[in-house]
Amino acid sequence: MPVIQVEDLRKVFYIPRKDPGVAGAVRALFRPRFEPKVAVDGITFHVEPGEMVGYIGVNGAGKSTTIKMLTGVLQPSGGVARVLGRDPHRQRVANAREIGVVFGQRTQLWWDLAFIESLNLVSKIYEVPPRRYRELLDRFAETLELGELLHVPIRNMSLGQKMRAELAATLIHEPRVVYLDEPTIGLDLIVKEHIRDFIKEQNRTKGTTVILTTHDLGDIEELCQRVIIIDAGRLIYDGPLSTIKARFGKYREITFETPARADGLHLPPGAEVTEQEARKFTLRFDRTLTTASQVAAAVMDQIDVLDFSLAEPDLAAIIKQIYNGALREAAAPEASA
Amino acid sequence: MIAALRRHLGIYGAIAAVVPKEYLAYNLWFWAEFVVQILAMIIYVYFWRAVYSGVDRLGGLTLDQTLNYILLARILAPAIESRLIFHFGFLIGQGQVAVELTRPLDLQARYYVQELTGLGVFLLLKLPLLAIAIVFFGLRLPADPAVWLAFLASLALGHAALFCFDWMFACLAFYTTETWGLSMVRVGVAQFFSGALVPLAMLPGWLQQAAAALPFAQAMAVPLGLLSGVTPVSQAPGFWLVQLAWLAGLGLAARLVFAVAVRKVTVQGG
Repeated sequence: MPVIQVEDLRKVFYIPRKDPGVAGAVRALFRPRFEPKVAVDGITFHVEPGEMVGYIGVNGAGKSTTIKMLTGVLQPSGGVARVLGRDPHRQRVANAREIGVVFGQRTQLWWDLAFIESLNLVSKIYEVPPRRYRELLDRFAETLELGELLHVPIRNMSLGQKMRAELAATLIHEPRVVYLDEPTIGLDLIVKEHIRDFIKEQNRTKGTTVILTTHDLGDIEELCQRVIIIDAGRLIYDGPLSTIKARFGKYREITFETPARADGLHLPPGAEVTEQEARKFTLRFDRTLTTASQVAAAVMDQIDVLDFSLAEPDLAAIIKQIYNGALREAAAPEASA
Repeated sequence: MIAALRRHLGIYGAIAAVVPKEYLAYNLWFWAEFVVQILAMIIYVYFWRAVYSGVDRLGGLTLDQTLNYILLARILAPAIESRLIFHFGFLIGQGQVAVELTRPLDLQARYYVQELTGLGVFLLLKLPLLAIAIVFFGLRLPADPAVWLAFLASLALGHAALFCFDWMFACLAFYTTETWGLSMVRVGVAQFFSGALVPLAMLPGWLQQAAAALPFAQAMAVPLGLLSGVTPVSQAPGFWLVQLAWLAGLGLAARLVFAVAVRKVTVQGG
């Protein structure tokens, strides 16, 4: 049975519309006008226990709005949302007991209190048995390197420290479903790595279901086997990350290091030079038309090569293609066939 | 039933325990507040002495009675100084409401516990002020434990009723986002109509009626009347009944308003 069931989910906001200028502002005082803005437009998907799903889209696509409906914060305008069999909005408190949420740009911790005080309070609110709490606290302190932070007030923490603290507070009651809304926003690579490892460990050891919204595709590649892509409130892709990569990652790149500048190379069909420097150049090739070995052999037949490296398809580039309509273009010929 | 009660006591007791730590987080603020309150008390005493110059009684009260009442009103001021409306504006305006709604807590119960504990903390912090008022300004406190009990029961009922009243207006933030203006109006209206600035008996009849139609006096003038001796303790049960009626009506209205308003929540800032 799915942990999360979303059927034809919709959310419409009514945004106040004011004409420009003082006259517009005064008119709005007496005759306010509101325009409907469809943030989520009939989305359907299911998530099974233990899945880690990347929920991605450009700014304003409706990611955070969906998460807020699943966490019970927002009431859907239409459709059905069920988390562990409950209606998250109507059964907000019961739902909140079983889930954990990190809103990357907000804090759930008490700003003026030492972190340990916040954590103690969170454990009481979620009724974590004291013994279990101490075990988890020790484990989290070790894996997230929280030891020195326990007595620091949240307001005195750096962004990276705060995010580690947030994660610990979110997972201290061992929620069955965790929503991570941009958990690595603004963090450096080392902290990101820490956080990703910690999430992976929680998923592996406890079977925690994770829904991750992010603009950092490194998070998706590291954590998720499945991605859901939404655009303008509509679901445009739901499936394995590998399928997306295979379908849209038809271009690969090989970078060659050479003793001298290489110009005028004859390349196999589907291959082209994309970057050229004094002793280095990069080729992009369509792997449906040629292979890496054919490209490398063609280059090495013509010039001396000191070294070369093959890059995997770049997810950022693939997602950019999809946002730019590659899915619609791919679907159109199939539909007309 | 008892198990559920113990569970809730554990959860909301933990929330209450955090309140004093939050209030005492800023040392400078604590001392500045203390000095400001002493100055305010001195100003109030000299103001009322000036008002009574050449007059024996105002609104049926002697200078001693009025000073006793006003000094106690200064100490009891936190009972009407809720920041709930302003805080809700912040919660909605900053989008922090999303975090609050993902906690497994009854939001209203959680804020009531915080407000009640906050009142207790503030009253404790006013003990030095109370000592200063007794030593330097002749404040008299009742010796009869029955008066203290009547006062505490009346304060608890009036404070709870006023919390529900504020809760309804705080919920306006779900519609308007901004509540700073409303919270400022609330501060002024509460000071005046609660009887914290002027004993209500001194107001013209129509203003006394307006004060009776608002809940502010229930958290200030009514308990204060009992503590200062203006109201005989034998009349306390009658006042409690009125306060209970306020609490029942406002409590029900506050639950309904929140149930409707929370459907309108929008989270600012994504």
